[in-house]
Amino acid sequence: MALEYIPGKSIFHKLDPRTKMIFFLFILIILLAVEDTIIVALILLSIFGLYKLAGIPMKKLTGIVKPILPAFILFILLNYFVSPPRGAKIYFYLVPGMAPVTLETTLIGITSALRFILFICITRFITLVTPIADLLIAISKMGAPPEFAVALGIAFASVPVLINQFQTVIEAQKSRGAKIEQKNPIKKFFALVPVIVPSIFLTVLRGMDISRAIESKAFTYNPAKRTYRKTISMKKIDYAFIALIAIITIIISILRWGFNFFRYDSTLKFLIDIMKIVFKLT
Amino acid sequence: MNLEEEGYEIILKNVTYKYPGSDKPALKNIDLKVRKGEILLITGPTGAGKTTLCNLINGLIPHFYGGSLEGDIIVHGINTKNSYVGYLSTIVGLLFQDPSSQLVTASVEDEIAFGLENLGLKIDEINERIDWALDFVGLKEYKQHPPYALSGGQQQACALASILAMKPLIYVLDEPTSNLDPIGSLNVFKLLRKISLEERKTILIVEHKLEELIDLVDRVIVMNEGKIIMEGNPREILGEEAEFLNKIGLEAPQIALFAHEAKKLGINLPSIPLTIDEGYECFSNIFENIKGKINIPQEKIHQFEKVGKEAIIQVKDVWFQYPSGTIALKGVTTNFYKGEFVAIIGQNGSGKTTLAKNINGLLRPTKGEVIVYNMNTKMVPIHKIISYVGYVFQNPDHQLFSRRVYDEIAFGPKNIGLSKEEIDKRVIEVSKMLNIENLLEEKPYELSKGHRQRIAIASILSMMPEVLIIDEPTTGQDPRGKREVMNIFKKLHSLGKTIIVITHDMNIVAEYAQRCIVMNEGEILIDGSTKEVFMREDILKKAHLKPPIITQLFKKLSSNYNIKPDVLTVEEAINVLKSIFKVE
Repeated sequence: MALEYIPGKSIFHKLDPRTKMIFFLFILIILLAVEDTIIVALILLSIFGLYKLAGIPMKKLTGIVKPILPAFILFILLNYFVSPPRGAKIYFYLVPGMAPVTLETTLIGITSALRFILFICITRFITLVTPIADLLIAISKMGAPPEFAVALGIAFASVPVLINQFQTVIEAQKSRGAKIEQKNPIKKFFALVPVIVPSIFLTVLRGMDISRAIESKAFTYNPAKRTYRKTISMKKIDYAFIALIAIITIIISILRWGFNFFRYDSTLKFLIDIMKIVFKLT
Repeated sequence: MNLEEEGYEIILKNVTYKYPGSDKPALKNIDLKVRKGEILLITGPTGAGKTTLCNLINGLIPHFYGGSLEGDIIVHGINTKNSYVGYLSTIVGLLFQDPSSQLVTASVEDEIAFGLENLGLKIDEINERIDWALDFVGLKEYKQHPPYALSGGQQQACALASILAMKPLIYVLDEPTSNLDPIGSLNVFKLLRKISLEERKTILIVEHKLEELIDLVDRVIVMNEGKIIMEGNPREILGEEAEFLNKIGLEAPQIALFAHEAKKLGINLPSIPLTIDEGYECFSNIFENIKGKINIPQEKIHQFEKVGKEAIIQVKDVWFQYPSGTIALKGVTTNFYKGEFVAIIGQNGSGKTTLAKNINGLLRPTKGEVIVYNMNTKMVPIHKIISYVGYVFQNPDHQLFSRRVYDEIAFGPKNIGLSKEEIDKRVIEVSKMLNIENLLEEKPYELSKGHRQRIAIASILSMMPEVLIIDEPTTGQDPRGKREVMNIFKKLHSLGKTIIVITHDMNIVAEYAQRCIVMNEGEILIDGSTKEVFMREDILKKAHLKPPIITQLFKKLSSNYNIKPDVLTVEEAINVLKSIFKVE
């Protein structure tokens, strides 16, 4: 499931969902600020550490990372096509005459690929330690109209229902000899028509059923005064956590934009220094 | 409010209603008054306007559905025209027919909380009411479960609990037991009695299961074609008018029907009995007078005989586990013979559907094997099996997708690679068989549910399978509709097809099936002739099932009098009576 919640008693489970959203925003700022490949890798490692702290099984983490590894490599390769060759030395061309490979563009590629993985891992981390209902309450507390949060909640709850329904349709059509597993993409599209048409029809019907059902349970009675049974509240630990992550973000931003830290150059310099040491030794 | 309207919770004054885009009124000149605390049963065939009437009470009509509404509906002193559904639904709790369509949240407790949150209640009060309502319907352990993972019966209980918790003044329940097995239905009716006794609420209930409601309701109205055609106390209508109800396509109490037939044979009955106990008292009096004269040779209970000798499907120690981990079949072994009419019965989740899907290759056994016409389902692809075993799904909407009925029926034959001429021949042949040959150019989505079901059956039949598996063909239909669809299978059976039907309607099983397989928790409890199986009330009870009322009556009578116990239908019961009185 795309939005699974793993119950637990870690500090991250106890934090207010709003705190986690703010945490997420700060991490985005940090990601923007830091270009240094090594630091990005370190941040990624510390996110993995968060998984460990929250008691999420490693299997889950590998399950998240593995499927995006091809994208990781794709990011690096595509980067050669889009970013201009910085740095003097061109090692070789990926495609004759195109996509020059330099040390700098390689680092940029790796950084953006790492950022991508980091982004996925942090998003999944937050949804793994926060029940959807809590996120929805956070959304409505942050000023969204109540209808919006309720609609989102119903949408999430409908996903497994629709998946079930989709599977039934597939079974029904297989019983009529429909060959749904096709390799050719055009054939596959046409083979899916018998599955998609009833699914859409049923989904529209379900939409009407739902609106009728919530109307009949007084949803439009007085939306502004609606109670939310589950409440969320900011505690000391939330403020402490926000303060901590804010300070880190501010320091990193000052270092980055005030003092030019965390640039690609620094990684480059570091790598060149290491190479010098290695060459001297040999 | 004037004096004569006082004391009434619901008043309908000359109500006529047309759905948008329809010229035919769904309700015509309805006048109805319901007192506070009254339990009113509304019954009638499909299309009578029962659901439309329900939707009037909480204002869904006209506020949600639109259409043209004449007349006034006064609910708890409020004219619904001048109010809105959100407000009216705090007074009227409406339970819809299909439970799964009204469960919208991610857990059972959220489902109950949803309405209460809308009412703006305090959190403590909400939590209290959740516990109370779940306790009331017996779903306490399922608090955290997602509603879609519950069985049909539990879903219905959950939907009912979500209405209960809102503590409306008026309950409007549209077929609250349509998805329940016999014992589950009985529990819901007991629950309603509890609500009416403990809470003095006004209850409107739409039902086809009349037998169970006789002692629950205060008044019955019978609707037909948008009108109220009969109104009175339940004994009068369900008893005296039983034959009329039967004629307009309803399921009148079997014992009342039997008594009416008995009267026609010249047997003197003081009154028309309705329940098993009344029936027993009434008929034991009659038998008492002629005791000793009853002299029919006792036949042995009809044992299961193979109709055909040839076992066309062999199920050998089949185990099945879903990816979720649920073990749905635990070592099922049975054979299906050519030309049989078999019913697979059992509670929701007992493994009926899983077994059926293993037979046509949609699912493959985790352990054990299924041999269909000498093909092991593990070895051959499903499209080879479907020309031998056809599977008709419960809801035709899960499979209809074409713009033309013709294309829909031709889809299967095309998939198995038949020639154009052959396809054309089969479409015409099959559509004639099902009386839909005049619909071939129509759009499936624009047809009635009954027609869509026929098209779905035709689209399987056109592959000319020898065996037809039908999953719950009678759910959501009135008794006449049920018989109509079952008669299709009876006809196909007489043409030589082997029929396997999955159902929880015991009267249907009694009337149509020769053989009966009872499943419970993934195992076969009993497998034998329908008569044999229905005599084993103890085993049926384990599977939450009960034989038809008439069978129960005869079993009870036979323990004291020398008559045969294995009577499954009213018709058979009459024949027994005839043979007894011929002797006299």
